[in-house]
Amino acid sequence: MKNKFFRKVEPYIWILPSIILMAVFILIPIIFVFRMSLSDVSKAGIIKGFSGLANFTKVLNSSAFKLVLKNTIVWTVSVVCLSTILGFILALILNNEFRGRKIARAIMVFPWATTLVIQASAWKFIIDTDYGTLNTLLLRLGIIEQSVNWTPTPEAYFMWEIACGIFVTIPFVTFCVLSGLQSIDSTYYEAATVDGANYWQKLFQITLPLVKSSLTVSTVLNIIYVFNSFPIIWTITKGDPANHTDTLVTYLYKLAFYNGKQGQAAAVSVIGFLILLVCSSVYMVYTLRKGDD
Amino acid sequence: MKKFVALFLALTLTCGLAACGGGNGSGDSGSTNDDSGSSAAEDSTDTTDEGGSDEQAAINVIAAQYGQNTTKWWADFVKDFTTEYPNIDLTVEVESWNDIYTVVNTRISNNDAPDILNIDVFANYQADDLLLPAEDFVSKETYDKMYPAFLEQSDVDGTIWAIPDLASARALYYNADILEAANVEVPTTWDELTEACKAIKEYDSKIYPWGIDMTTDEGQAAFAYYTWNNGGGFVDDDGNWALNSAENVEAIKYAVSLVNDGYTNSDPSNDTRYDLQDMFGAGQVAMMIGPNSIPTYIADGGYSINYEVAPIPTNGGNDSVSAGVMDRFMCFDNGYSDAELDAIKTFFDYFYEDERYSDWVLMEGFLPATSTGGEILAEADESMASWVDIVGSCKFYPTAKTEWDDVKQGVINVEQQALLGGDVQELLDELQAEIAE
Repeated sequence: MKNKFFRKVEPYIWILPSIILMAVFILIPIIFVFRMSLSDVSKAGIIKGFSGLANFTKVLNSSAFKLVLKNTIVWTVSVVCLSTILGFILALILNNEFRGRKIARAIMVFPWATTLVIQASAWKFIIDTDYGTLNTLLLRLGIIEQSVNWTPTPEAYFMWEIACGIFVTIPFVTFCVLSGLQSIDSTYYEAATVDGANYWQKLFQITLPLVKSSLTVSTVLNIIYVFNSFPIIWTITKGDPANHTDTLVTYLYKLAFYNGKQGQAAAVSVIGFLILLVCSSVYMVYTLRKGDD
Repeated sequence: MKKFVALFLALTLTCGLAACGGGNGSGDSGSTNDDSGSSAAEDSTDTTDEGGSDEQAAINVIAAQYGQNTTKWWADFVKDFTTEYPNIDLTVEVESWNDIYTVVNTRISNNDAPDILNIDVFANYQADDLLLPAEDFVSKETYDKMYPAFLEQSDVDGTIWAIPDLASARALYYNADILEAANVEVPTTWDELTEACKAIKEYDSKIYPWGIDMTTDEGQAAFAYYTWNNGGGFVDDDGNWALNSAENVEAIKYAVSLVNDGYTNSDPSNDTRYDLQDMFGAGQVAMMIGPNSIPTYIADGGYSINYEVAPIPTNGGNDSVSAGVMDRFMCFDNGYSDAELDAIKTFFDYFYEDERYSDWVLMEGFLPATSTGGEILAEADESMASWVDIVGSCKFYPTAKTEWDDVKQGVINVEQQALLGGDVQELLDELQAEIAE
């Protein structure tokens, strides 16, 4: 009897440390942020009392927030979509047998394995008008006669940041898809070949459906990572000029630690959390349900 | 049996993790004194060494990192201090300017404020009643060494809440060789500045005649340089915010016109002062307004240009005003015992001892905030003497006002919006209205 009870309880005891860790490092901070978003917080960070939805109202009424929200959507959609497409193509290439495949796969890891701040600093150094290596290279090759300003507008800056984001995200997608590709039994392709299927038919009828679960995982994780990505934008532009390259994360950081508006920053954080929750849930439910059908 | 051992281990691990999580709120986690006779972990404000005759006290300091030498300077300081005062357990945590606000605010939110803080602003902490008045934590002898004009910068309702640790002043730096080659005199007015920029541009289109920084890092300094030298500024004579004054509008329009005319570095919203200093050192920028530490920066960077210093150009017959930047020490009210307050006073007496203080100021090429320190430095270095005079008469940011954070970020936003084509008058009107709310 005693033994039976222990067996029933045992799994919960084993997962208890994980639950406690998650509670301490994830759940409690989330509760704190929600509480802060509904509180009147002084500039020194002290909670003065309940303020209802005042922080949310102030944030939603500010002109900067609309711009920042738009930037966040453009940033997330561009980086996730383009890196998924490019990562998928690269995975297909790397799945083929060719000489130097191992080296190519190893090289693919570099952008992913390097710290984002270093990646972003390198990109900043490359595109800088005054001392950038891109201008230096083009000048030396005689392609241009004087330095080109690669970032004449905030939009141009944002495009470079998106390019950097795509560059560092591709490896993750590639390896997720590659792992899916390698688990596909080659007999499917052999049978399809016997049936006379061409390359595209095999790609869309066999490959894509079978790597869908890998793509779903990588896309959902990328939506979360990219949406919350801070280092690239902060290192390259700090969201300047005038919030034109800010995303929700850099914007809330400025609100909290430059403007001392921690209540409003928490409100932005909650809004971001809810957006992510909805997007990820909808995407997962949609793709998984479709998979079941 | 094995299962019971495993269960025991799991529970031990769980308790250990729980203990780690719960340790966050204790007072002095960074304390270097872990002797069994001390109970610092329980209550940082009440530590006594029962075995000794002197009362044991622990002081926890967060200090800003001014440059590459700061961390080592503080490490040496702690070593010397604890040798001389073994009953005072001093911990100094040096934080970069990028992190210090985050660290301090997080600690305050967790009821774990440091005892002493070295930073630039104090008004937000004072507004929350977190600070002790300066006279409570500094001995009279040390307090009297400070320049009164500096102390006044930390005055709220007649009480001084922080003491200055150092200062820097800004002036015009120009590359004498470039100006000579372009055949222009050092500009003293905005008209002359425009002419000088034009002449330099004609002499060599690859050189940026004028360096300007309107970044999130220090765009408020640009606002100060141009508005103060046009008779405007952040506040009016009564100390009320006057951000949208006609002088300010004219000043920002002028600064933006320099950018639009192609006389400045290409990206003022992203080129920080350090980028400009590098470009100035490399001879790519002909003139820029910068702090007195530029000579140290240029020497450390291995640059060899022929440069001179001059007053900041002005407009409308106004006298040239140098912008002063001053950082402070403040003491959080953590309910100290007499022994602890004495320990804090001892810390400041030791820090402001004339020679040690001069060493602190020279460490990163700053200017002294005490009259005795000023005298020593002026005697030691003639070039420093003129800077000591400048810093005594320059204007400071109104950091004693609690709206300063909003104003600072607000004027930077106005500058950046203006660079994107925004209407300066409208933008400043909006900012003024927002601050007045």
